[in-house]
Amino acid sequence: MAVKMFASITIGSSETEMKVFELSPRKGMKEIDWINTRLNLGVDVYKMGRIGNRNIEELCQVLKEFKRIMAGYRVESYRVCATSAFRETKNAVVLVDYIEKQTGLEIEVLSNAEQRFIDYKSIASVTAEFETIIQNATAIVDIGGTSMQISLFDKDKLITTQNIRVGNVSTKEELAPYEKNRSHFEKMVTEILNHEFAGFNKLYQKDRKIKNLIIIGGNLRELMKRYETTDHKITSVSKEQFMGIYQKIVDLDPDQIAADFDISLEMTPVIVPSAIYCRCMIDSFGVETVWLPDYSLSEGAAYDYAEKNQYIQCNHSFEEDMIASARSISKRYKCSQPHIRVLENLALQVFDRMKKVHGMTQRDRLLLQISVILHNCGKFISLENVADCAYNIIMATEIIGLSQTEQNMIAYIVKYNTMPFPDYEDFDTAAEINIDDYLRIAKLTAILRLVNSLDRTHQQKCAEAVVTFKDNVLKVVAATREDLTLEARTFEEKGKFFEGVFHVHPVFKQKKQL
Amino acid sequence: MAVMFDKPEYFVNRECSWIEFNRRVLSEARDKSLPLLERLKFLSITASNLDEFFMIRVASLKDMVNAKYTGRDIAGMTAQEQLKVIGEKAHELVNQQYTTYNRSLLPALRQDGFELVTEHEALTDKQREFADQYFEENIYPVLTPMALDSSRPFPLIRNKTLNIGALISKKDEKKKTEFATVQVPSVLPRIIRLPDGKEGQKCGILLEEVIERNISKLFLNYDVVCAHPYRIMRNADLTIDEDEAADLLKEIQKQLKKRQWGEVIRLEIEEGMEPKLLKILKKELNVKEEDLYQINGPLDLTFLMKLYGIEGMDKYRYAPYKPQPVPGMNDEEDIFTQIRKGDILLHHPYMTFDPVVQFVKQAAVDPDVLAIKQTLYRVSGNSPIVAALAQAAENGKQVSVLVELKARFDEEHNIIWAKMLEKAGCHVIYGLHGLKTHSKITLVVRSEEDGIRRYVHLGTGNYNDSTAKLYTDCGILTCSEPIGEDATAVFNMLSGYSEPKSWNRLALAPIWLRGRFMRLIERETQHARDGKPARIIAKMNSLCDKEIIDALYQASAAGVKIDLIVRGICCLKVGIPGVSENITVRSIVGNFLEHARIFYFMNGGDEEFYMASADWMPRNLDKRVEILFPVEDDKIREEVRHILDIQLEDNVKAHVMQPDGSYEKIDKRGKTLLNCHDYFCEEARRRAWRSPDPVQTRVFIPMEAED
Repeated sequence: MAVKMFASITIGSSETEMKVFELSPRKGMKEIDWINTRLNLGVDVYKMGRIGNRNIEELCQVLKEFKRIMAGYRVESYRVCATSAFRETKNAVVLVDYIEKQTGLEIEVLSNAEQRFIDYKSIASVTAEFETIIQNATAIVDIGGTSMQISLFDKDKLITTQNIRVGNVSTKEELAPYEKNRSHFEKMVTEILNHEFAGFNKLYQKDRKIKNLIIIGGNLRELMKRYETTDHKITSVSKEQFMGIYQKIVDLDPDQIAADFDISLEMTPVIVPSAIYCRCMIDSFGVETVWLPDYSLSEGAAYDYAEKNQYIQCNHSFEEDMIASARSISKRYKCSQPHIRVLENLALQVFDRMKKVHGMTQRDRLLLQISVILHNCGKFISLENVADCAYNIIMATEIIGLSQTEQNMIAYIVKYNTMPFPDYEDFDTAAEINIDDYLRIAKLTAILRLVNSLDRTHQQKCAEAVVTFKDNVLKVVAATREDLTLEARTFEEKGKFFEGVFHVHPVFKQKKQL
Repeated sequence: MAVMFDKPEYFVNRECSWIEFNRRVLSEARDKSLPLLERLKFLSITASNLDEFFMIRVASLKDMVNAKYTGRDIAGMTAQEQLKVIGEKAHELVNQQYTTYNRSLLPALRQDGFELVTEHEALTDKQREFADQYFEENIYPVLTPMALDSSRPFPLIRNKTLNIGALISKKDEKKKTEFATVQVPSVLPRIIRLPDGKEGQKCGILLEEVIERNISKLFLNYDVVCAHPYRIMRNADLTIDEDEAADLLKEIQKQLKKRQWGEVIRLEIEEGMEPKLLKILKKELNVKEEDLYQINGPLDLTFLMKLYGIEGMDKYRYAPYKPQPVPGMNDEEDIFTQIRKGDILLHHPYMTFDPVVQFVKQAAVDPDVLAIKQTLYRVSGNSPIVAALAQAAENGKQVSVLVELKARFDEEHNIIWAKMLEKAGCHVIYGLHGLKTHSKITLVVRSEEDGIRRYVHLGTGNYNDSTAKLYTDCGILTCSEPIGEDATAVFNMLSGYSEPKSWNRLALAPIWLRGRFMRLIERETQHARDGKPARIIAKMNSLCDKEIIDALYQASAAGVKIDLIVRGICCLKVGIPGVSENITVRSIVGNFLEHARIFYFMNGGDEEFYMASADWMPRNLDKRVEILFPVEDDKIREEVRHILDIQLEDNVKAHVMQPDGSYEKIDKRGKTLLNCHDYFCEEARRRAWRSPDPVQTRVFIPMEAED
């Protein structure tokens, strides 16, 4: 495979940047150019609820210029990702359409979960030790202006990802009027955060010590530059080293930090609050090493592309992370794990056997698996209104790596597992579900319903069942001596919907072992 | 007790130091060992130098005085005090110029067979006839005489033009005189060649003499009472308020027109000018006594440069030096292949500038080249580089050019070809707000089999193929990856995008360069304190930054051995006990203009070499975009060290600074003479001769008829 040029553009809330990469199987991913410009879209959204026209015009100019540079590098593929400013602005659809028409570039507005997933990929892409780090409990923390995202890993798996509504800009602005002096500010921030982290610890940390803290955002990396040489980049510091730097800066004002650490003035105001957050986490999680990767979303998008197109091989399975994250949600809502395991096995068998019939992708298989994992979570709240409760739980929970549409699809699949499946015309019109998505929901729901019937009693009687597909007949053979009357009856009932969707007749057979 | 290093008495005023420099140039004109025409050339240079000095420096001091600014300079002087000293020294210098001209050069010229007729009365009949006819045919049509009376205001006298002022009276009103003036046309050559003299010697006369001789023809109804040449200098320091200028281009064009109306800061007149005429000039031009220069000889000696090229007098000139091919480079392979084999050092003018032109030219037509980016400060009139850039854009390459419009005196010129580049499809950036882009960098991005490769040229001198024959400069061609990445970041920054998160190798002014230099000097100081050998060799054009000098004093006091090669202004003093005893300063003034900036730091044995576009001046470190780049290739490092060593050994063209601030040449008795310019010329010839000659290895194979 020859060298391929890929451009990754990120429209952030305060900066718009483009990174141009060279992708090749031999050298992997190599950054060729980085072009960054400050464009404060976030402030508009914060103040007026929408991005102002002036900024939109300026953005178009920048993007056109980026396009010109792309042409200069003979870039063949690109991805433009817009983040929170576009997620939160009113009229995003209209704005995106306008920009697309103006610039000829296609723009994706990422959901928070998608963005975090790419973030997380980008950290993996720039941190060589990533695989080793996440063997131990690790928190990746993205310190933003108005919120903070904490993703927790242990033993190579993602445990959870949570958004805490405390950010370095918002704390600074809220507390500044009450600040008596520097140490008073430190004390107030510490108090707020300790409260937040206490809640987080109770839910997720349990008794594990989070040894590694990977910090992104908050400009803390800039502090390292002073200690770096051209040949020696600092990617991590010990708790003690961090505290050393912390003591140096915590009482300084932004100008002083800029002068002492040779950091551009625009970057310094958020450094102190971010450092205080970091210190609070060190105290409350028991952190030993703080990692400060030099990364950006653009890297992640390129990495994503490179991985999908096999320019780079990655040992770490990011799909596994999504599944792990779903599993930890299902555990939190006390779903029966043995029941889920049986269903996963069966559902994926059905999916795989019927590939030619349904024509769906690997990604849909992943959605099916996550739907199965979460299909029972509604019961945690109410036994009576399972479908709606499950739908709401899923919609309110962040599952890393899912786009908004995908999250919505999973919520529907789970909902219609137990509720009558509506016709397309009757489908919830508020949801942005197009025909294609509707069909996928229907197909995946049909599979979920069918396999769910096979463990009607939650006793894993069909744990060893084998699925075959031949001559347009889907045959499920369960080898067990247990009584399967209930299962068989439900199977037949749910099978009708299945047949309606796929035009395939499902047959259930019991093979009584001797 | 800690020694204070920033006392005013430890510093030399920069204007005084500059005049000292011009005196060194003048000493070349007085050096009898030089060919005559070379001496004329140096005298001419001192004249144009002095003009520029007045327009920029004196003007700026006058501005300060007008603005009642009472701040003191590095040497503790107010603007008023400086003007006083400058006035005295400048008068002295001018006297020296004309003594040299009248007593030494003019007679020598006559002796060598060229007679410059100084008074038209001395013309032969034949010459007289020729001169008058020349006046009628060539001069008269372009003259615009202007008279001053109650209905006509005093006319605009243009900056730096030579004029003839006259008192005239109406033929019937002999008592009443009026003022009239006529500009000596700058479109005509200042020296008019005349028919050969009686002894067959070549002859010439100055244009103004011919006009003076015929001046009555300009004022037909008048009698000309007297006529004398005069010349004025105006405040020309062009400061553009960038915050207000919506369109930089327009603003500069506006300023260009305004400049002619600047305040008069110097009036030069011919000695013996009629007092009445002088009085009118002084009053109308608002000139004070101290700004008046009475000249014993022709005004504006820059015309001597024209005499330099006079034909038939080759033996009174140095044979022109032909820049030699760069050792190790050839004509067969494309330049990119050659760069890939290793970094290439260019040392102009000893080596040809051609590889730099080729670098852009070949990039323009190379199908694999994606982009060319370059900073242009001052380019030559018909620059092959500009042509190549335009061609590249037409060939579909992405061409970004930063054109520095604020380059002094060159604005008009720059605007023309900047527009030409734009038309050709180049992306032209007209400098940065509040900063002059002085760095010299070219980046060529090429798409090769294994990906993008970046080729970079970094230099100490402008991309100007003409001055590259006269200025000594260094440059490097490299495809080093870290430098390539930095180069990309430089151009992104110049295009208005964010600065990179970190730099690999380069250090840029105005943000990082000062700090880098300070750290490098301080590191050397530390080495000395630790008892390690410590040394700095720095070569530049000017040294007048207080912070840097301060650091050098600290270093010297700590025991660092510092050798400075500073061609022009140097505000540092040598030999102050306990402060600068370990510092030497030498200035090399010779046939080529020393222009390279090279910095060497011993660094406890792990030596570091750098080159830069910047001097150690506040304007370079704080107000310009400049680049410092390391020399990393071992062979080139050796070569650079060799360049510095030879310059330090020079005992012909070097002037060594004395503790009292004056400069003296080295006592040559008992020493082998070493002129570094000659040495490098010779060395370049020798090396070029040794490198394989492509012409000899090339064989044409004739086709023969087949049987």
